[in-house]
Amino acid sequence: MNMAASRSGRGALWVAFWLLVVFLYAPILILIIFSFNDRELVSFPWEGFTTRWYHEFLANETILKALKTSAWIAAGASAVTTALAIPASIALSRRRFFGKGLVSGFLLAPLVVPLVVLGTAMLILFNYLGFPFGPLTLIIGHVIIALPFAILTIVPRLDRIPVALEEAGRDLGANWWTTFRTITFPLLAPAVLSAYLISFTISFDEIVLASFIAGSTTTFPVYVYSQLRLPTQLPQMPAVAAVVLVVSTIVVSLAEIVRARADRALDSVERVADEPAAEVVGVEV
Amino acid sequence: MNEGPAITIRNVSKFFGDVVAVDDVSLEIPEGEFLTLLGPSGCGKTTTMRMIAGFEEPSGGSILLRGTDVVGIPPHKREVNMCFQHYALFPHMTVGENIAYGLKLKKVPRDERARRVDEMLELVGLSGYGARKPGQLSGGQQQRIALARALVNRPAALLLDEPLGALDVKLRLQMRLELKRIQHELGTTFVFVTHDQEEALSMSDRIAVMNQGHIDQLGEPRQVYQHPETPFVADFVGVLNALEVRIDALEGADALMRVGDRDRIVVPTAETGVSVGATALVAVRPERVEVLRDGEEPDGAGSRLRGTVAQVVYLGTLTQFHIDTVLGKRLIAHRLSDDRAGEIAQGDEITLTWAREDASILHTSD
Repeated sequence: MNMAASRSGRGALWVAFWLLVVFLYAPILILIIFSFNDRELVSFPWEGFTTRWYHEFLANETILKALKTSAWIAAGASAVTTALAIPASIALSRRRFFGKGLVSGFLLAPLVVPLVVLGTAMLILFNYLGFPFGPLTLIIGHVIIALPFAILTIVPRLDRIPVALEEAGRDLGANWWTTFRTITFPLLAPAVLSAYLISFTISFDEIVLASFIAGSTTTFPVYVYSQLRLPTQLPQMPAVAAVVLVVSTIVVSLAEIVRARADRALDSVERVADEPAAEVVGVEV
Repeated sequence: MNEGPAITIRNVSKFFGDVVAVDDVSLEIPEGEFLTLLGPSGCGKTTTMRMIAGFEEPSGGSILLRGTDVVGIPPHKREVNMCFQHYALFPHMTVGENIAYGLKLKKVPRDERARRVDEMLELVGLSGYGARKPGQLSGGQQQRIALARALVNRPAALLLDEPLGALDVKLRLQMRLELKRIQHELGTTFVFVTHDQEEALSMSDRIAVMNQGHIDQLGEPRQVYQHPETPFVADFVGVLNALEVRIDALEGADALMRVGDRDRIVVPTAETGVSVGATALVAVRPERVEVLRDGEEPDGAGSRLRGTVAQVVYLGTLTQFHIDTVLGKRLIAHRLSDDRAGEIAQGDEITLTWAREDASILHTSD
């Protein structure tokens, strides 16, 4: 019997759904509420609405600096990640070569390697090489952990672009690079954008690797974590977090809209292949 | 102008690992010909075409375009263009941009580009569609745009990879005439790949019937249909009646087999060199087989064979009769659905006849 069909079953599903929503989003909601609470302690009771914490953090040089550092590192790491993910995805999706399974395994392995292990390993390696810890080591680390996500975002899209489109480009006189630039890339762009944003987010809020290999560089997550011990700084943290949350939600939503729109263009081409003509155009036979 | 053939294929083979896709194929396609590579899937027809386009390199042999060996030259430097099975129009470009793509890469000036795109749109009957996106067009319209996009480059040959396969029946029939008209108007060499024998027969100047990597027979449609040279061709092109018979006698240029006291099969021996006692596979097309009812007497020289009507299939223009002959083998006869055809019913005792020159020997064995 279908649970969703019976009246009581539907009610139970409804309840379960909302419990899940609360479970997922209550912490975030609480955070936003506290960011406006006029109280030195981040807790109830509600003592009135204030934007004081927002003003305070906007005047707090150290927070702004940490945000900026994280933004730069995330921008750099995601740019490198995307630039590496595109050729890797093309190789995995379009080419056949010896050891392909192994290569794809290596590329995707960071998904399952615990960050603590990776962080320790990189700490030892960079130390051994005498490589100075800082933004660069952090970017390298973030590229490694973001790459699988970027590849897993780009490959499915690439798989949906018919190979015949690229062959048509070459057939019409475009070399490999021109074909990529004028045909593959424009059709791939939405996935590339998604991959960039995902990588950005991964890098921006990454704290484990940062604690190992950031050196004296203070990223935003590291800073927030360190401030949680200081009562005077603590109330600003929900405000910062709320701003980051809203900004990233807006950016990701916009990206999703762009992607969905571009997807429809590709859909229409796939669909029409087996559809009879709606009208017969006037042709002399 | 170049006098030689548009495309020359010399002893071309292609292996994919252990699999032989194309096996020592040689073929010359003169300028302006409509040549069809016909065969079932896996016969090597698509691989042959892709080797002409440059998407596959032959494992051996050479391919010449207007006299120049193109083996090793990448597709974008070959003067042939292709119509893909599912059109492969660029979804992010307008129809006009799609057609102009090749010209733009050849650095054709903007105004000439615009003029030639318009010309092509007119040729395929889609004037004014330049600003639309491919997604806004029907399958048939996309097909025409794909054709325009390839032809605008004035290729040495146009390669068409099952271009009508994705269209519905009515549109397919219309596009056949359309393709033929366009080919006639431009005089471009067309190499057409299909598994549909009707398409091949109705459009081609010549047909190369391919089977297991080689060309079984190359010839004009009528020749291929009426005088198949191998059992495969006979079976693949059209409906086949094949009878295995033992030769009882040779009479001049004919081989003869007697069936009972009244019936017989007569077939020209041609140059097959059959001898009495050999077994021959004799083929005859269904539309050449006449169905005679009781009392109707066959005239003299041809084959005649009695049988019982096992099934009558009405096909509209034609009616198809399945006849269980006295030889134990079931034969098919086609005739126009006139009133007389309507009177023949299941279970009737009838006589089949066909003229001696309508039968041929496919192969013999001792």
